[in-house]
Amino acid sequence: MGVNATSYLEPTGTDEVVDAVTRTRGRAGTLEIRGAGSVLDRLPAGEAPVLSTARLTGIVDHAPADLTVTVRAGTRLDELRERLAEHGQECPIEPIGEHGATVGGRLATALAGPRQLGAGRVRDWLLRVRFVTGAGTPATAGGVTVKDVTGFDLCRLLTGSWGTLGVITEATLKLRPIPAHRAWYASDTPRHDVASQLYRPAAVVSTTERTHVLFEDHPDDAGAQAAAADLSPAEPPALPASARAVVDPARLAALRADLAELDLTVAIHDQLGLCHLDGQADALAAARAAAERHGGALLVLDPSAGLPAFGRGHAPTALAGRVSAALDPDDVLAPWRWQR
Amino acid sequence: MTGGVGPLATAGRELTGPETSLLARLEGILGGDGLRTGHLGRATYRRDASFLNADPLAVALPRTVEQTAQVLRACRDHGIPFTPRAAGTGLAGGATPTGEAGVRPVVVSVARMDRLRQLDVPNRRAWVEPGLVNARLGKAAATHGLRFAPDPASQIAATLGGNVATNAGGIHVLTYGVMSQHVLAVELMDADGVVHVLDGARAEQAGLDLRGVTVGGEGTLGIVVGACLRLLPSPPAVGTLLAGFPSLDAAAAAVGALVVSDRLPDAVELMDARAVSLVEGYAQAGYPQDAAAVLLLEYEGLPAGVDAGVVTADHLAREHGATSVVRADGPDQRARIWKGRKAVAGAIAKRAPDFYLQDVVVPRSRLGEMLDAVVAIGERERLEILTVVHAGDGNLHPFVLFDRREEGMIDRVFAAGHDIVATALSLDGTVTGEHGVGIEKRDFLGEVFDADDLAVQRAVRDAIEPSGLANPDKVLPTTVGCGEARMVPEGAWV
Ligand SMILES: Cc1cc2nc3c(=O)[nH]c(=O)nc-3n(C[C@H](O)[C@H](O)[C@H](O)COP(=O)(O)OP(=O)(O)OC[C@H]3O[C@@H](n4cnc5c(N)ncnc54)[C@H](O)[C@@H]3O)c2cc1C
Repeated sequence: MGVNATSYLEPTGTDEVVDAVTRTRGRAGTLEIRGAGSVLDRLPAGEAPVLSTARLTGIVDHAPADLTVTVRAGTRLDELRERLAEHGQECPIEPIGEHGATVGGRLATALAGPRQLGAGRVRDWLLRVRFVTGAGTPATAGGVTVKDVTGFDLCRLLTGSWGTLGVITEATLKLRPIPAHRAWYASDTPRHDVASQLYRPAAVVSTTERTHVLFEDHPDDAGAQAAAADLSPAEPPALPASARAVVDPARLAALRADLAELDLTVAIHDQLGLCHLDGQADALAAARAAAERHGGALLVLDPSAGLPAFGRGHAPTALAGRVSAALDPDDVLAPWRWQR
Repeated sequence: MTGGVGPLATAGRELTGPETSLLARLEGILGGDGLRTGHLGRATYRRDASFLNADPLAVALPRTVEQTAQVLRACRDHGIPFTPRAAGTGLAGGATPTGEAGVRPVVVSVARMDRLRQLDVPNRRAWVEPGLVNARLGKAAATHGLRFAPDPASQIAATLGGNVATNAGGIHVLTYGVMSQHVLAVELMDADGVVHVLDGARAEQAGLDLRGVTVGGEGTLGIVVGACLRLLPSPPAVGTLLAGFPSLDAAAAAVGALVVSDRLPDAVELMDARAVSLVEGYAQAGYPQDAAAVLLLEYEGLPAGVDAGVVTADHLAREHGATSVVRADGPDQRARIWKGRKAVAGAIAKRAPDFYLQDVVVPRSRLGEMLDAVVAIGERERLEILTVVHAGDGNLHPFVLFDRREEGMIDRVFAAGHDIVATALSLDGTVTGEHGVGIEKRDFLGEVFDADDLAVQRAVRDAIEPSGLANPDKVLPTTVGCGEARMVPEGAWV
């Protein structure tokens, strides 16, 4: 979207973000916060002025001995990954798709990557966040230690807030050593039960042809688990990218059956209850209806489909509305989110 | 110990009109058995496991979510605040029923709502009531080859609702993370008695993560009346090591090396010599008595990875001067090694009439400095302090052992506590890693956050709990940056 937006702001520091938000608020305007656009470019185009984090970049502090890194929000995940790898460390938040993504954008959208199964959710890797609320107030929550219950946990609140509530300007992330060994395996046919036979695989993804498993273990353990489950070394799976359906894992089998009736390419994270989909608009719309029938939601990440990105399954609760109003009282930050 | 309703029962203080009418309504909801208004009945609920105590108006012990809702609506209708409480093992005064001048809150205990509602083995999760004790969930899960990872040292008494409300930590945080990572959904009851289901089992949240804010809300956002918790498969292999070091610094340096080794241990606990000698008489854990510090290390997972981890740890420990390194030869020895760690509070209770337990965190690289500072503070205040540390997380628990009947003692204890917190802050650490802010650490928040940060926190709190009746007075300081942080806030007794 940035291209046809009416204006494009590129603040270089917190003060400028405060200024941009405050001015926008003053004239009853709105802002769409943009990182690298890896997700935003896949939402229906909007006309709102853009606040880009493109100049809020750089690693502020990497403390290898503390397993933490502080980074400005516009920093690319790829760049961060390279820098951390020099010290044998990683933050297992993976970019989604091939567009490249920024740390801030990745936190704000909090989409699950395949390794969420083993490494936990995006939200669990954030220790401290600096942000500017929709009211123009700069704030910090959390701290640089790995455990911290000082005050309310707004790190979780900002993660997955999708550019509402506040502009994330800086994040301190928890790190871990890069697993010494990492290997994908696969079965000959799709085996949706394979995940439950393995001890904590890093990722499990089933396509219509086979089930792929990622081990991040000692090679002997990975080999033994693979042999016991009859898996052979394989390439990582390709993930369709037009849409993602999420349901409670207990409803996944039912959703899977419904999706099988539709003309879709599907890859499924078995234990997570997440399905990646490619297909035409009518098939995606039917998939959305199915996901919602099973109590879930479907996110469309393909503007050419002509469907709203978000569906009924994303509708905010009244309580969430009150929290939004508290931090962004004049609806400055993407107030349309979850509605189109 | 149930008291009748009426002015006599609340000895020492006349009840106001609204108080009398509230108590009558509560008795109608809960019956005599579910309401305590007498002096003795209230006395046990004056404090949690901290020193801070205050007199509640009454204690409500609802048995169901519906009763809880009725209790909260009654409080709301009378404009009287409530203090949520579970097992009362909290250490920050979070469950201490303080209120604004003259207003005594009703303690609402969730202890009687203690069922394991559903153990969903195929989907590895459990729906629990808030009063269910942490260890009981672990036991139930274990029969299905599953485990609940958060394991605070208080797990045989503390409840899951309390763990949610404090975002509890424990021994295996280093790789498994704190409570929040294991909470899939929270059922939060607001002051109108309405239950909000926050988040759920989906891998990607829809909308804002209000679950995340509620975890660690310390009762100020409403009452947690249910939660869905994540279970993990029990590890097929476990390797436990016990290493003795000639100095605190050597042990701290070994921790530093372990944390940056290629495989993170799942637990790294440090105990100083005082702790080691104290628990030995009590738990016979087999710790080396000549060591200035011991480390307890654990690797969990598949056998080859566990063995590789143990070999690395053994090597690193010796490289940093360990004088003994022992690997547990089986489940019995492993249980004994951990028993020593978990018995610290029990052993202290046998040894000293009182103890004061601190909870601070520093970045892991500052652990050695922080440990030295605690020793110096103990010497300066002439206090016996022993320290146990969730070392892999940089989270220290100095215990001050004392007898409060000694003249001037309480002041010295609190002076030491204050200095420990101030030192952690000066080392880029923070004032609480897992016990919470409650009332004890509330006035330190102005030293961690600035006025804007706190205003944003306040705005979120007020948005979620607009009535202001849920555990008022806790977590957020009332006047920002005003005066010195006090260890005993206004309205509480020690
Ligand atoms: C010896 C000892 C060792 C300990 N070790 C650890 C440890 O290793 N790690 C750790 O994290 N903690 C530890 N603790 C502290 C304590 O056990 C934890 O804070 C625990 O989570 C409190 O649970 P509880 O059921 O006792 O809650 P309580 O003490 O009853 O309450 C704690 C707080 O939560 C609120 N609350 C309780 N229940 C609810 C509810 N249902 N809804 C909303 N709010 C509620 C209360 O208002 C209060 O603010 C230890 C304590 C002791 C005494």
